Amino acid sequence: MTTLDTEVLVIGSGAGGATTAAVLTRAGRQVRVVEEGPAVAPGSVEPFSLEEMVAKYRHRGGSAALGAPPIAYAEGRCVGGSTEINSGLWHRLPAAMAEQWRRAHHIDEFTPEVLDRCADWAEREVTVSCVPDAPPRSSAVLADGAQRLGWHAVEVPRVVRYEQDGAAKQTMAATLLPRAVAAGAEILADCRVDRLVRRGRVVVAAECRRTDGTGERLTIRADQFVVCGGAIQSPALLQRSGIRRRIGTGLKVHPTIKVAARFPFALDHGDVPMHRITEFTPDLALGGSANRRGQVALALADASPEAATAMADWQGIGVYYAAIRSEGSGRVLALPGLAAPVVTYRLTEADMSRLARGLVHLGEALLAAGAVELHPSVIGGRVVHRAGDLVDWWPAVTRARANLMTVHLTSSIGMGEDARAGTDSFGAVRGFDNLRVNDASLLPDAPGINPQATIMAIAVRNAEQALSSW
Amino acid sequence: MTVLVPRSLLAFERAAVDALTDDLDRGDRARVMAYVDGALAAMPEHIRAGVAVESLALGAWTRVTALAHWGRTASVDAEFLDRLDRSPVGPLRQHARLLRSLTLFARHEIAGDEAGA
Repeated sequence: MTTLDTEVLVIGSGAGGATTAAVLTRAGRQVRVVEEGPAVAPGSVEPFSLEEMVAKYRHRGGSAALGAPPIAYAEGRCVGGSTEINSGLWHRLPAAMAEQWRRAHHIDEFTPEVLDRCADWAEREVTVSCVPDAPPRSSAVLADGAQRLGWHAVEVPRVVRYEQDGAAKQTMAATLLPRAVAAGAEILADCRVDRLVRRGRVVVAAECRRTDGTGERLTIRADQFVVCGGAIQSPALLQRSGIRRRIGTGLKVHPTIKVAARFPFALDHGDVPMHRITEFTPDLALGGSANRRGQVALALADASPEAATAMADWQGIGVYYAAIRSEGSGRVLALPGLAAPVVTYRLTEADMSRLARGLVHLGEALLAAGAVELHPSVIGGRVVHRAGDLVDWWPAVTRARANLMTVHLTSSIGMGEDARAGTDSFGAVRGFDNLRVNDASLLPDAPGINPQATIMAIAVRNAEQALSSW
Repeated sequence: MTVLVPRSLLAFERAAVDALTDDLDRGDRARVMAYVDGALAAMPEHIRAGVAVESLALGAWTRVTALAHWGRTASVDAEFLDRLDRSPVGPLRQHARLLRSLTLFARHEIAGDEAGA
């Protein structure tokens, strides 16, 4: 058994962990970051490919929240966390939502001004930009469809640096983590924290196990512990460590339903669309997904009788989604004997109705943009060729037939001064002197937008507050 | 307590992937099989355990129905999987969909144009 010592142990290296490490190291703190997954060199595997799922996804992408219907979800499990696998779309948290969260959850110093200052910091660190030229066709069709319907659509900036020889996604492994290392941080990849060892109000060590095949056991002692494993892994670790009060409840996701749309022209398939139809936000957003050949085949599979025929023309097919803010909520539960936590999610009837509305609106936009055939991700769902037939999708989106997924998971711990939150307004776990959480699990609710910018802004704010209080 | 899960594909799962890749050449078929094997093994234990129980039950069911019809061999073919897809029993539908999704994704990513429609 090896024992290591550090001043601050950051557990997890995604948007929350990398940001925390960067802020703390620049303030002169000795920081060690542990990451359960491997270090994968930026750009070494093709985005959204089978190889990427093997190298970077937790459970190779095969996770699901149990419920009716189950909701498949994806998490990153590599140095950089989910920033290595997401689309990199960058939305600041709207001021109105920040205000609403601050009031409803009694979060101190959670003003739009503070969050904007922190978002400024994050944007300086990870290049945020729009495409310099005309957008790819798979993205432009969303803007085109919206314009024809009189709906609002925007190109969402991404954490991407556009250069002459292509676009380079500015993930945590490409930006904040190497800068943290340059400032003195150490990153230990392939290292899972099994549990935290507590002594009264103090966490004294993390018991770890190498996941590189050696199974080596490590103990890492630290003065301060910051858990940044994301909305599933952070509550699971705390529960495995016997910390369960207000932990793992209130999970929120953006349930997403998809449409495979065939156009009478070829689309690009190497990236994700950066346009979003924002006419119905924040409760409903329409956008585009990864649409490599494998993903197109998957998206066609639910309307199975016509999938085989449609696949013959797969290069003209794009995959698009409607994502909702959900009234429902879920739980994360770490059980003895299971390495992975059990995740459940309960959608309300209003959620199901909102998903159906989203599917129909998405169909309207895609047909307006020139799509000639729409395959919904609804088992046995009708393949639609004209707007008048979209009405058939309304009753088809049922718990038994809807095929849902999500990549946005938040709110499983919560922050604030009210009774529902597992931490105080800055992520300090109640009842402990040296234990914090600083990731997506703190968000009081699902924001209705891609959450990376919000997670990073909150992580900057909380890390700064931690520095002032240590 | 430790949840026991199979370390490799069960017979029913192997037969299902076979049925969905019978038009591929031997090499691509083996690669798809290996991918599905790895994907199921990587799942959270409680989900893999549930899938395995269903696979065992479905495997037993196909054998029993074959025995009840003299002259027929137990078969897991595309038609059988289509029937599972349309089953009124949710877990059976989800089981068929899981195997089909993993296989479809892999065959199109691995075999490319050879994957056909």
